Parts: sequence; C-alpha cells; structure tokens
Amino acid sequence: MMELLTAEQLDKFTVQVAGLEHPRELIIDLLRSVQDNHGWVPDEGVALVAKILGLTPLEVEEVATFYDKIFRQPVGRYPIHICDSICCWSRGGDALATHLREHLGIDFGETTADGLFTLLPSCCLGACGRAPAIMVGQNTYGPLTTDDADRIVDALRQEAQG
Amino acid sequence: MPTLTIDNLSVTIPDGSTIFEAAAQLGIVVPHFCYHHALGAVGACRMCAVTVVEGKMPGLKMSCMTPAEEGMVVETDTAQAMEFREHVGEWLMTNHPHDCPVCDEGGECQLQEMTISSGHGVRNYRGNKRTYQNQDLGPFIAQEMNRCIQCYRCARTYQDYCGGRDFGPMGSRQRVFFGRFTDGMLESDFSGNIVDVCPTGVLTDKTFRFKTRLWDLQQAPSICPHCSLGCATVPGGRYREIQRVVSGVNVQTNGHFICDRGRFGSSYVNHPKRPRQARVDGTNVPVAQALNRLRDKIAGVIAEHGPGAVAFVGSGRASLEANWLLKQWARSLKCPAPVFELHPRRGRAIRQAVGPLSSHLASLRQVRKSDLVLVIGADPLNEAPMLALALRQAVREGGRIVVLDPRPVDLPCVFEHHPLTQEQILCLLAGRCETGLLNNLLSELMTARRPVLVGGSDLLGGVGLQLLGHLTESCDNDDRYCLIHPLLPRVNSFGGGLLEDAPQEDLLERLENGRIKALVCLESDPGSEHPEAGRMQLALSRLDYLAVFDCLPTHATRRADLLLPTATTVEGDGVYINNEGRMQAFSAALQPGIPIAAVTAGQHPPREFMPETPGSQPQPAWQMLQDLLGERHSVTALRRAMEQSEPRLEGMSRLQPGDEGIKVAPQDPEPVEESTVEIWSQDGDLRLLPVQSCYGSEVASSLSQTVTPRLVTPRLMVHPQEAQQRHLQEGEDVTLKTAHGLFRLRLFCDERMATRRAIVPCLPGTPLEIFVPGGLSLPCDIEGGAS
Amino acid sequence: MKQTEQLLFKNRRPGETAFLKEYEGSGGYLGLKKAVREMTPKEVCELVKASGLRGRGGAGFPTGVKWSFFPAENPGPKYLVCNCDEMEPGTYKDGELLKADPHQLVEGMIIAAYAMQIDTGYIFIRYAYKEQFAYLERAIVEATEAGYLGKDILGSGFGFELHVHGSAGRYILGEETALLNGLEGKRPNPRSKPPFPAVRGLFGRPTTVNNVETLANIQHIVNGGAVWFKDLALTVEGAGTKLYGLSGHLEQTACFELPVGISLRELIDDYGGGVWQGRAFKSCLPGGASTPFLTADNLDVALDYQTLEAVGSRFGTAGVTVFDDRTCMVAVTLNLIRFFARESCGWCTPCRDGLPLVVWLLEKIERGQGTDDDLQMLKAQHRNICGNSFCALAEGAMGPVDGLLSNFEQEVVDHIQKGRCPFTA
Ligand SMILES: Cc1cc2nc3c(=O)[nH]c(=O)nc-3n(C[C@H](O)[C@H](O)[C@H](O)COP(=O)(O)O)c2cc1C
Ligand code: SF4
Ligand code: FES
Repeated sequence: MMELLTAEQLDKFTVQVAGLEHPRELIIDLLRSVQDNHGWVPDEGVALVAKILGLTPLEVEEVATFYDKIFRQPVGRYPIHICDSICCWSRGGDALATHLREHLGIDFGETTADGLFTLLPSCCLGACGRAPAIMVGQNTYGPLTTDDADRIVDALRQEAQG
Repeated sequence: MPTLTIDNLSVTIPDGSTIFEAAAQLGIVVPHFCYHHALGAVGACRMCAVTVVEGKMPGLKMSCMTPAEEGMVVETDTAQAMEFREHVGEWLMTNHPHDCPVCDEGGECQLQEMTISSGHGVRNYRGNKRTYQNQDLGPFIAQEMNRCIQCYRCARTYQDYCGGRDFGPMGSRQRVFFGRFTDGMLESDFSGNIVDVCPTGVLTDKTFRFKTRLWDLQQAPSICPHCSLGCATVPGGRYREIQRVVSGVNVQTNGHFICDRGRFGSSYVNHPKRPRQARVDGTNVPVAQALNRLRDKIAGVIAEHGPGAVAFVGSGRASLEANWLLKQWARSLKCPAPVFELHPRRGRAIRQAVGPLSSHLASLRQVRKSDLVLVIGADPLNEAPMLALALRQAVREGGRIVVLDPRPVDLPCVFEHHPLTQEQILCLLAGRCETGLLNNLLSELMTARRPVLVGGSDLLGGVGLQLLGHLTESCDNDDRYCLIHPLLPRVNSFGGGLLEDAPQEDLLERLENGRIKALVCLESDPGSEHPEAGRMQLALSRLDYLAVFDCLPTHATRRADLLLPTATTVEGDGVYINNEGRMQAFSAALQPGIPIAAVTAGQHPPREFMPETPGSQPQPAWQMLQDLLGERHSVTALRRAMEQSEPRLEGMSRLQPGDEGIKVAPQDPEPVEESTVEIWSQDGDLRLLPVQSCYGSEVASSLSQTVTPRLVTPRLMVHPQEAQQRHLQEGEDVTLKTAHGLFRLRLFCDERMATRRAIVPCLPGTPLEIFVPGGLSLPCDIEGGAS
Repeated sequence: MKQTEQLLFKNRRPGETAFLKEYEGSGGYLGLKKAVREMTPKEVCELVKASGLRGRGGAGFPTGVKWSFFPAENPGPKYLVCNCDEMEPGTYKDGELLKADPHQLVEGMIIAAYAMQIDTGYIFIRYAYKEQFAYLERAIVEATEAGYLGKDILGSGFGFELHVHGSAGRYILGEETALLNGLEGKRPNPRSKPPFPAVRGLFGRPTTVNNVETLANIQHIVNGGAVWFKDLALTVEGAGTKLYGLSGHLEQTACFELPVGISLRELIDDYGGGVWQGRAFKSCLPGGASTPFLTADNLDVALDYQTLEAVGSRFGTAGVTVFDDRTCMVAVTLNLIRFFARESCGWCTPCRDGLPLVVWLLEKIERGQGTDDDLQMLKAQHRNICGNSFCALAEGAMGPVDGLLSNFEQEVVDHIQKGRCPFTA
C-alpha cells in the first residue's frame, strides 16, 4: 500500500518514456499508478512522477491538482464518491448522502477513524440510469437504497478485515 | 493593412492586428487584464469586450482576440459592451478582499483602474469570499493570493516568457492558485517580472514592502548599470534611498522585462560605505575645495615632471559625458589621452566592437527575432542575463541556438552546447584546427534568414571578436547582414571605446617604470580591473598622487590621496552606449544623500539638525569635471559640444530619457589595428578560467544588500573527469594552486563543461577578486585534502 | 415497445459484452473491409457527408463536413481522438455502448482514420469507466491480432495504431481542445480556436475529435449506405438512430437506441414507462445538463437537432432527464449550476467567477431570501454570461438558467413572494 511505484512499474514507465516523443502524455497514467499503489499521491509521488518525466514537481502539481480523482491528500482505503448531479439528486441522492454521513459518522471530505472510508461528493458518474449511484474506488454501484449502501459499506469492512 | 472604424475614428493597421491593437493605436484604451504587450492575448479575462457593429462576425467580441478586418465598424461604448464589462468587473471583484488601504499595489493598481473603467461600483454579492494560504516565495517577492483575479499573467510571464519552471497555476475552478510546489525562493533569474505584470497586489516586491506609496515615490527613466545591454529601468526611491527598480520599456533592448540583478541589485546606492564626502589627504573637505586642490596638484606635477607624468583613467562605468570631459581635461593639459579600459585584452575587444564590427551590430530585439544564434564564448545568464531571455524568445519563435563555450552554460530554453575551451574556440574561429563543426555552422549561417553571432568579449578578446567579424562578413549576402551581438565588460564600455583615439600603452608598465607620478581615476579601480591585479596594486603604491572620482567603495577610493564622491546612475543625468552602440539617456530619480533611515537610525524625527542634507555631496562626475575645466553648461549644451567633437555621436543631444535611444554611426571603413596575436597552447594541464557570475562579480550589484541571498560563494568547478583523476569528491574543500597563490575552495563538478579547465568566479571582496575575467586561461592545479 | 432497427445496440445483451467473435459473427469488420478494399478515403468522407450524420457529442456538427476540412494529404503524424469523457449529467450512452460492444468503436475509428489518412488514434475515456477501459484494451488487442489494426491493415498498406487514455475526472476534458491539452499531459484548459484541431491539434498536429457514438456509426453507414442511414430517422432533416439515455423521474431509466426524430412523449411513455409514481410530467432536459428545459407543451416535439432548436432547446447528447410535477425548477437549476461552477476550469472570468455568483443567487432564491432585484440580477447574469465565455462550458451552464427564465419565471417569482420554496412543506 505504501510503495509509490513497483519496480516493474518503474521499469515499464522508464522504457515507455524513453520511447515517447512527448513523455508528458504519461502524467495521468503515472499519477494514477502512484495513487493505485499508495491510496493517494503524496509530495514524494509528485516528485517521483516529475523525475520520471523530466519535469519539475510544480509542473506535475499543476496537472495533479486540476483533476478531482487525483488525491493530493490522504484518503481512506475506500474513497466513496457520492454523485450529487441532477439525475441522482432527482432520485434521492441527497438522502443517500445524508444517510451515509450519519452511518459512517463523517462529513464530506472526512475519513473514518479506522482509515477505511472517505466521503467525497462527486459530479455525475455516468450512472444516470442507475440513480442514485455511488462509486467506491473505481467501482460504481446503483441504484441504491440506504440499505444497499449499508450493505456495500459492511461488505467492504469485512473485506478489509479478512 | 486593413482600415476599420472604431468609435467613429478611422484607423489603418498592419495585417494580423487585433481590434484591441487598432484601438490602442487610436489612443482608445479598452479595459483589459490578461492582455499584455509582451505576452499577447489569451482571451481569459473577457474584460476587453467591444461591439463589432459591422464585420464578418458582428456582436460582442473580445477585442484582444478578434482580428481587425477591412471595413469593420467597432464601437467600444455600446450599452451591450458596457454592461458586459461592468459584469466582468463584478465577477472579478466577488472574492477580492477590498484591502486597498493596506495593499502594496496602491497607486499603481490596474485592478482599481479597470474596475472603475468597467463601471462596476456597487457590490451586490454578499456571499462568502474564497481565501487562500500564501506561500513564502523567497526574499524578493511577496504573495497575497486573496487579491488574485486569475489573469494568468504571472504564469505566462514566469513560464512562457522567462522559462521558469517552479511557479505556475495549480488547482482549478474558482480556486486557481499561482505559486510554487512548496515554499521557497523562486529559481528564475527573471522572477521579479511577475511583480511588474501582476495587475493587482498579489505579487509585490518584498524588498519594497511598506516603504512608499507610489504617489510619493520619486521615479525617473533610467538605464540599468549592471551589464553592457543597457536595459531600460525605472528606479524609484524616497527618503534619500533607492527603494526599488522596475522594468522600463524599450522594444529595441529589454522589451518589457529586466533581470533580477537589474531589479534587485541597486541598493548599492544606499551602501553605508559609499563615498559621500570629498576627501583630501585623509580629511573631509567641501567638493569645491577638493577640486581646486586637484587642479593645483595636477598642475604642480606637470610643472615638475611634464605632462607625460599624469595619467587619466576613464571607465565603462562612467557616463559618456564624464569620460568625454576627462578626455578634454587631459587634452587641455596636453597629457596623454585617458585609458578607458584598464584591461588591455578587454580594451582590444571593445575597440573591435566600436570599430570594425560597428556596421553589423544586432540589438536584443534582433536577437529575439533571429532564426539562428551562435553564442560563442559567452555565458548569457552570468554575463548579460537579459540576453538569455532574448535567446529564449528566439527559440519560442522557432529559432535555433548553438553555444560554443567551456562553461556549463544554462539557458532558459533548448539549445545545443559544445563545451570547447577558450583556446579551441579561438583556434576554430581562426580556422587552425578541427573544422567540421565550423563548416557545419557556417553552412547553417549562410542559409539562416536572420542570423546573429553572440560573442563574449571576455573569452574571445579582440582577436576573437575580429575573427567573428570576418565570419559574419563571409556570411553576409545581398538580402541581409549576418549580425553580431558582442558582450562587453560594462554598461558604457562602448562609450569609452568610442572616445579612444588610439590604443594606449598598458598603464601597468607605465606605472611600473615610474614614468607616471599622478593618476586620476574616473569611476574605475585599477587594482581590481587590471588583469594583473596584484602587480597593479603594487605599482599603484609607487604613485606620488592618486585622485579618484567614484560612487562605490573600492581599493582606489580607500587609498586615494584625493577623493571626489560621484553620483550613482540613479542620481544624475547622463548617457551610456550599450553593446550594440545604442546611446541612451538616463535621468536622476533621486538626490544623493544618506538615507534618512541611516541618519536617524530608524528614529523620527532626526535628533540632529544640520544646514545641509547629510551625504549630499556626490555630484555627477561630469559636473565636477566641468568645474575643473571652468565650464558650466547644461547637459544639452554639453551634449551638443560632444556631437561637434565626435561626429559618431550625432543625435546625442536629442536623446530623451526613456526613449529607444539612437545607434551611433558605424565607423568609416578604414584599416584597423591588427590585434596582438594571442598565444594559445592546446594541450597539457589544467588551466584556470576566471569567469563572471551573475550575482557577485559585478561590483555595484554585489554591494547591494538586497541580492545577498543570491550571491555565489567562492567555489571551484571542474569536469567530473578532472575530479576523478585527482581522486577528489564533489563538495569537498580543495586547494587551488596558481601563480597568484593558494586558495581553499569548495569543489563543484559539472559534466556539461569542458575538460581540463577549472572555473572560478571572480568575486570582489573575496580572495577570488584577484582573478579578473577577460584574460587567457592560466596554468593551475588542484589538490585535495589538507595541503 | 416498438421494435426499431438496432445498429449500435445490435449486440447488446444484459450483463454481457460482445467481443471479437460475436462482433464478427454479427457482421463486424465488414465495413472496414469494404472501406479499405473498395473505397478511396475520399469516398468514405463523401459517404459520411451524404449520410447526414451529425456529431453525437453534443454540438451536432455534421461529421462528414468536419472530416472534409481535415488535411488528409499533410505528411507527418495526424491524430484521431475519440471523446469518451462523457461527464455531462444525464449523459451515459457512450458508456452503455462500450459496455455492450466495444469493437464498434474500434472499427469506426479505423475507418475514420482511413478516411482522413490518420496514423494514430487515442480513445480518451473518463475515470469512472473502468470496465469500458478494460473492454477497449481487450478489443484493441483482439483487433490487432486479427489484422484490423497495425502497420498494414488487411493488406491495404494503410496503418493505424490505437491507444486508450484514462482521464482523472473533470467535465471540462470533454471540451475537445481541453481534452487535447489533457492528453498531452498539460493543464486541461481549453485552447483558443482558431486554429482548429484540424489545423493544429494534438501535439500541434492535425487532429479530428469525434464522439464515441459518432464513430460507432461509421461502419454501419459504410455497410448500409447513406440513403439507408438517413432514412432511419423520422424527420426529414435527421439521419440515423440515436442512443437516448433516460434518467430522472421515470419508471424506467435506461438507454435505448431509437430513430432520430422520435417524439418526447413516445420516448417517455413507451420506453421510460411513464413518469414515476403516477405523477405528471413537468419538464425535462432533452439532451444533457446544458440543454434548456422543455415543458409539457413540448411533449410532441420530434427529438432532433432543428426541431429542438425551434422550441428554444437543443438535442445535445439525447440524455433525457425528466422532472415530475413536484419538482422545484429553481432547485433543479441550482443543482445544475453548482455542477457547472464546480467543473469550471478556471480560465475565463464569466465561468470561473460568474457561475458561482449565479449559484449564490439561486441559493438565496431557493432559501426564500430572494428579492425582485435578485431576479433582475439573475437575468443580467444570464444575459451576460451567454455567448461571452472562452469555451462552451459556461454557455452550456446557462442552458438551464435560460430554460428557467423562459419557462418557469413564475416559479422564481413565487419563491420570492412567498419567501420560501413552494415545493417544500
Ligand atoms: C464543456 C464541454 C464538454 C463536452 N463534453 C463532451 C463529451 O463528454 N463527449 C463528447 O463527445 N463531446 C463533448 N463535448 C463536445 C466536444 O467538444 C466536441 O464537440 C465533440 O467531441 C466532437 O465530436 P462529435 O462531432 O462527434 O460530436 C463537450 C463540449 C464542451 C464545451
Ligand atoms: S467557459 Fe471559461 S473557465 Fe469555463 S471551462 Fe470554458 S474556458 Fe474554462
Ligand atoms: S484582455 Fe482580452 S480577454 Fe483579457
């Protein structure tokens, strides 16, 4: 969980960079890989990506801070993105969000004490036909009742323990 | 060349211009933020909206982004445009903290001006404001992000124009932040420009913080004295101290920007050790008395030893007027003409620029527009920083840069570097050795459309510049010249060179053989400027009489028998001629005097009262020299007289401070002195190359307390191969052995530099000041450990 | 439910994805074979032009016309970029298409590349489409192995390589020039046009950007012909079928492939199962979050580009979000504007700072604290933001405000007069 890039990834990217005329195009791939491994992208992750691409950390940071799904702050093991866009909102997204906040005992932007869940509001997840929807990590669930949401959370808790 | 109508006025402008530019030509200022002359238009702020009444695409348009078309009819003050601009004002102000009373931008805030001109005056938004946490951007620049209006000018200046890579926009939506990855000093040597371009009080000059409101600031157009490029500046001060320098605008030279040395390197003016009092034999006296004494003393020496016993030294730091008057004075006494450059090799280089090369000199603007620049024996960031920025602009326009230089040259752009030694470069130019590279470059030069050769006078010397001259001539063709941009030692080196009638014998020899009894130095310091500084200092001690005019504390001012304090660039009027032969006038922003802060030790009101302003004795050198000659002409009259006596200065009396300047006439083609052939040895051992460092080598800026954080420390730099051979480690303290003695220095390695060379920066005020750049490399050796 | 001709959803089975075998089994890659073997690139362009296909990414620009601007003869690298950012609320059709049948896009892209003589393609896909990303990668491997992708496709001498690029979540990347910056690894602010991507696009080279659905239609046009394709639509001007993504207050919210020009009523009643919980239809977004609201008066309008423009809205992406009669349109608009304000890239003033101001106004009105002045201010914001931002994001954001002010102004006035939202107890 703490490693920024595995040795194989590092090799793969280094080879790729050498073969590319515009290595910078890998910046999101690299940031996402660091995030997959580490859960979020720490300063060292930005610096590492910069080093691989021959950029300055600032140049990477400019891009990293633009995207919503690159986390430059620690998040829980399972970041929960709750869609708050119109389709989910029209079908109870607000209530679902309120429920999850109560159920987990955290507000948006906060992480549960056990480090498992972070609640994040998100724009449309592309699951408008399955509203209300949430995305945990990169897995989308919907339509959800509050009970469904609880079951997902409980299952993830179990997964974390097991 | 479309002709269009804007607000019922007709204007014709070049193809490719925008409505904004057309309006500007008519004197109509359309409100704007993101547009900036030097940066161009990006259409982000949307403030410059106007109504196109007739045209291909009528309607509300951003004037900065809309091409001017033939027959277009534009109105800037339709109800639609005015309503929209008012809203832009409203949007930009929603988050603004309204902290104008305590804002450092007060008095020059474009946000205030444009908000007013947009018509937005009453705030309707009552919601929360966004706030930011500021960063520490180092000693030069203060950040107050809450005032930001996201015009992106700073980032476009810092990154796009200046090539900096550690400052830029982060985040998005309504929370874009302009800053660094982490707190810390901005790395670019051009960082200060973000202060000038920021339209509001986000990025301000930290060294100027809380000092003066703009309307109380004394300012005047000036010329940066720190290198030979002669960039336009506007120094400002108050309470008898220089407080800041901002960039002036001269499209021929610096354009809109200046380097950080120019901006932050001027507090030498406030230096506590600066000569402020006339002094005769160790006693302070009024200036008039000292001048009388000087006149008598020189007359006495001439009476006793003949006119040949008095030598005059002008300089590349002194104004053209002062140098010319010095020459007049020498002539009136029938003494030998002054020397204007004490360093003989540098002197020969200057003569090349002033003479044979003068028909081929390129301005910085021409460098910016060039498609191929060969930089030969020059390290722009250290010797003339704004040249580096000009090279970057050439690259941005698709140009190519090739550098031949032994140093690990850095540039804020892509370039090709061949780390040849000084000797190899001279050899190459003389066609005496390996010619493959030269041939390639030559054929590129022949086909380039706007080629420029940059030549560093320190490395190339007279011979090198002469060879460069031959090279350009062979690359000229019917459509264009191949131009030269020589780097000269000082701001007015060209002026000195131009006043020189015939090359002088080396002053050192004349001093050593005792022929000279009295020496008059005008803003020059033989003991630190002559390549054999040690020998020179010794020779000076044989003098009967040393008289010095200067504004800086130097070896010479310290041991002068007679000292006359001169005004600095920001305290007087004058003319400098830059490295491309451009005469430019500067004018006084301040009166000399000891800063109130220094006099009162921070107390107010002052506890002591005196009839005259403390420290106000310094005068422009040319005024004192006129007194010596018994004249009192206005500057203009003086300049007219100069034009009469030196035809190449034609136009000088028409110069206005802040204008583009006038190029001196090229020298008539006439046979030129063949420079002394320089001897070079190719091979063998390690050789020492003393070089200039941007921060530390140039005397005035090195005396400026503001640039202290950037000063380089004494150091020694070699190719890693040399370190390896001697079993030395980067970072360890080593001993440099030279004919001038042993020096303990920290070792740095850089694989981009030439092998067999050891590079040291010349640093006045440190033991390394003895290594004056501009000579041929010296034998040396390095030893590790405790030797 | 009438059975209409299925092109794009021909291979769609619940919970399944068609890969090479099924795809080929249903006539996949015949279009490609026909194009590279029997047609010149120019002929393909002409055919697409004649088919009347319009861009399915929202702007509806005629695809063949766009292609005909492309400098196909230019030597050097040229790029085809497929836009699968799909982050506009209410729009999820591309995701459904790729989940069902990813090879369609791959084939469409190869033919498009052939038509414009493009050598490299990128599929730019949003963060949330993890499965679709994987399906596309698999489809590309399969297609390469089958000789449909590579240096010499089907022995034609034409070569094309295709990559998938995953994004990291921002709506602005759907804007084609912002997308190009994003692909290049730069800050994804939009670029100014001109120069258009066809002149200077990805890495400064000629580039065409097309939507997933647009590209997926190409092989069907090549196979069926322009006249056939055009005739699939129910309107005279229209062409082809369209993926309609239903969402909001309907009994069934799913994605259907139906002819262009189907009526809103038919779509809602026959395919959406009617408004949910037996309530009445109040309004809908006909084509994604940036299209002005329709009202019950518009139920019989044919869903097509011109017809919707005639009633003051847009076809957009045909993501139809329906609102029942208990919905507060101020609240709906507020939700939408919050989305746009949050997704602003931060480049231009009207969007970056203007949209938050509109959010503030709508919040105030929705809370019941609005005044007549606020309504006037809202109108002024709408008037001034429209048409004056750097890219179309802020323009799109004004779609709902436009719909609110032209169709539901009385509701705003009610909020102000009652001092509360009339839809809350
Ligand atoms: C803010 C904004 C977001 C957009 N998002 C998308 C998108 O997600 N997918 C898409 O295909 N087009 C999107 N577009 C339209 C594209 O800019 C472009 O017009 C389209 O990809 C062209 O493809 P087409 O002609 O095939 O429709 C968006 C435009 C804007 C202004
Ligand atoms: S409208 Fe302006 S701020 Fe908004 S996304 Fe487009 S360019 Fe960025
Ligand atoms: S000056 Fe034209 S948009 Fe900013």
